[in-house]
Amino acid sequence: MEAAAVVTASAGAVLLAGLAATALLAERVASVAVLAALLLLVCLRAHSPLRRVYLAGAILPGLALFFLWPVLGTEGYHVLWSGPQVPVLGTLDVTVEELGGAALNALRLIAVGLAFTAYALLLDHDRLLASASFARRSALAVALATRLVPTLQRDANGLVEALRGRGLAVEGLAGHARLLSPLVAGSLERAVNLAEAMEARGFGRATVTRAPRPPWRAHDRLGVAVAAVLVLAGLLWL
Amino acid sequence: MAVATLDRVTFTYAEGAAPALVDATLTLEPGELVAVLGPSGSGKSTLLRSLAGLVPHFHGGRFSGRATVVGRDTRAVRPAELAGDVATVFQDPEDQVVMTIVRNEVAFGLENVATAPDEIWGRAEEALKAVDAGHLAARRTTELSGGELQRVCLAAALALRPRLLLLDEPTSQLDPDGAEVFLRSASSLGSAVVLSEQRVVRALDFAHRVLYLEQGRIVLDAPNAAAREWLLEHRPAYAGAMCVANKGNDLSDAVVQIENAWFSYGDVSVLEGASLAVRRGEIVTLEGPNGSGKSTLAKLAAGLLEPQQGLVRRAGRAGYLSQDPGRYLACERVDDEVALGVGGDRDRAYAALDQFGLAWAAERHPRDLSSGERERLGVAAVVAGEPDLLVLDEPTRGVDPERKAELAAWIVRYAAAGHGVLIATHDPTFPAHRRISLGGRVTEERVAA
Repeated sequence: MEAAAVVTASAGAVLLAGLAATALLAERVASVAVLAALLLLVCLRAHSPLRRVYLAGAILPGLALFFLWPVLGTEGYHVLWSGPQVPVLGTLDVTVEELGGAALNALRLIAVGLAFTAYALLLDHDRLLASASFARRSALAVALATRLVPTLQRDANGLVEALRGRGLAVEGLAGHARLLSPLVAGSLERAVNLAEAMEARGFGRATVTRAPRPPWRAHDRLGVAVAAVLVLAGLLWL
Repeated sequence: MAVATLDRVTFTYAEGAAPALVDATLTLEPGELVAVLGPSGSGKSTLLRSLAGLVPHFHGGRFSGRATVVGRDTRAVRPAELAGDVATVFQDPEDQVVMTIVRNEVAFGLENVATAPDEIWGRAEEALKAVDAGHLAARRTTELSGGELQRVCLAAALALRPRLLLLDEPTSQLDPDGAEVFLRSASSLGSAVVLSEQRVVRALDFAHRVLYLEQGRIVLDAPNAAAREWLLEHRPAYAGAMCVANKGNDLSDAVVQIENAWFSYGDVSVLEGASLAVRRGEIVTLEGPNGSGKSTLAKLAAGLLEPQQGLVRRAGRAGYLSQDPGRYLACERVDDEVALGVGGDRDRAYAALDQFGLAWAAERHPRDLSSGERERLGVAAVVAGEPDLLVLDEPTRGVDPERKAELAAWIVRYAAAGHGVLIATHDPTFPAHRRISLGGRVTEERVAA
């Protein structure tokens, strides 16, 4: 991990999981905002070219939730804005209570997304895998799924480029929806090829060894303790 | 003692109508490098898979005969049990990388075959250095280029110190110098090496022995010198340089003109003041090592990228064929795929399919085609619209010499019909009127027709 200078991968994963869990448990907007800001600062340490993509994936759904929640919600009595009547949805209005709920839940979603971003961009998943001695296959599946994001992004870019090369613009929802089926088919094809390569490389043999890894240090133990305290605080006070 | 033997092996994939490998008999001795040549779909990959035990274990199907690898019958042991004694480098490096960090990727195989823990990092480092990739050890695998990943995959195989090394078109994404380092590393191992390659000249430079396959049968198994003679007489496209003659077309106005173009990806500057013009009737190739900016310049010409400084002027429509076009197919049917770029015009789509020998597959799903057929489908989909400027990025990657000669002949005709053609390629034998070499100093060579 680039952040391995601070904590090892497994301690880092526990800490990030603790921060995400605290954000979900906390009830105050300010508390969740502080956690989201902290996670954003951690994410900004990553120098990956994919940082922007991951950050957009973490923040945009939260912003969408913030704007949709008050309009679609039916909570509270202090109306700030009253809009037109829409079939099925009823009257569109925004209340103070809805704004508060929107901010809290949007920040929660953003915090969880940022925790995943930090996990994907900063942690050494290989070390995480190596430390998962009792559930190695599951840990490997998670590590491979994490790698799927950049691979899918690369495939999507390649597909858009191939279509543009034929004079076809990929625009709007319909244009991007067209990419979905070939991307899924391509991912399945890659999965089969990867399974074949792993079999040929001896994956699944009864006797395996592990390359030596550095042991846990005081920082790692401190990181796990901080995660536990944060979750407790989120449950009781934040 | 032989490292591996195939004794009358015949194999038919579960979904296949005809056998992919027929009556294959072969003995591999330690230290010999055997080149496996043949057209796409001739059974080269199946031969390698049967030596790795992946056929029949991973793929299923009907298997007869006997394959014995390092003294073990492959029907009785799983491929994973052969790993270590056998190592395979597959065609597409992106489809075989498991770990996130390069040094861990090299260590993955060593851990699987129960190498002593205190040896693992040393062997991983040594293997990376052997393929000139020691500097990549701490890099993330998702951030490497295709060529860099191919070297990492070879390092992962070399680290195992296998007795049998199987290489399935392993240099497809490397420039000529990189490919030479790769093959030199593989051949210096002292193991038996089986190399399936479409870049025939390079494979022949390293091989002690040559196999030639057609329709699943080994039709030639001979030492290098005798094999060269046989190829020259019976399959001249496999014997050396391409023999497609270019035409001295009348060149008219420029179909694209690039002036003083600058382009960088983040902090990495790729083009610094590049200029280029392609005229109607002209074929221009862009050559140079990996990372020299060939693809970027090609994309600027096609309008897929805009220069950060400088000017691009186009007269007419440009069509662009990306690297690995067989991977980027968007439709459920072959004819729909081609019709997509011509506004659904079925007649033009069928004409393009016919031109590339794919009319028979019009109603098939593109992913049911072989890799070579998919590549041709990608070309058909781009040229159906008859672009004034046709830009091709590595169009011969993974294409067998006969298909490559057909493609070259088609491109010569396309240019003669008054279109401009720009090709980014590692292949210096492709017909061209001008060859532009990128990387370091930009040089230009005008080629007589």
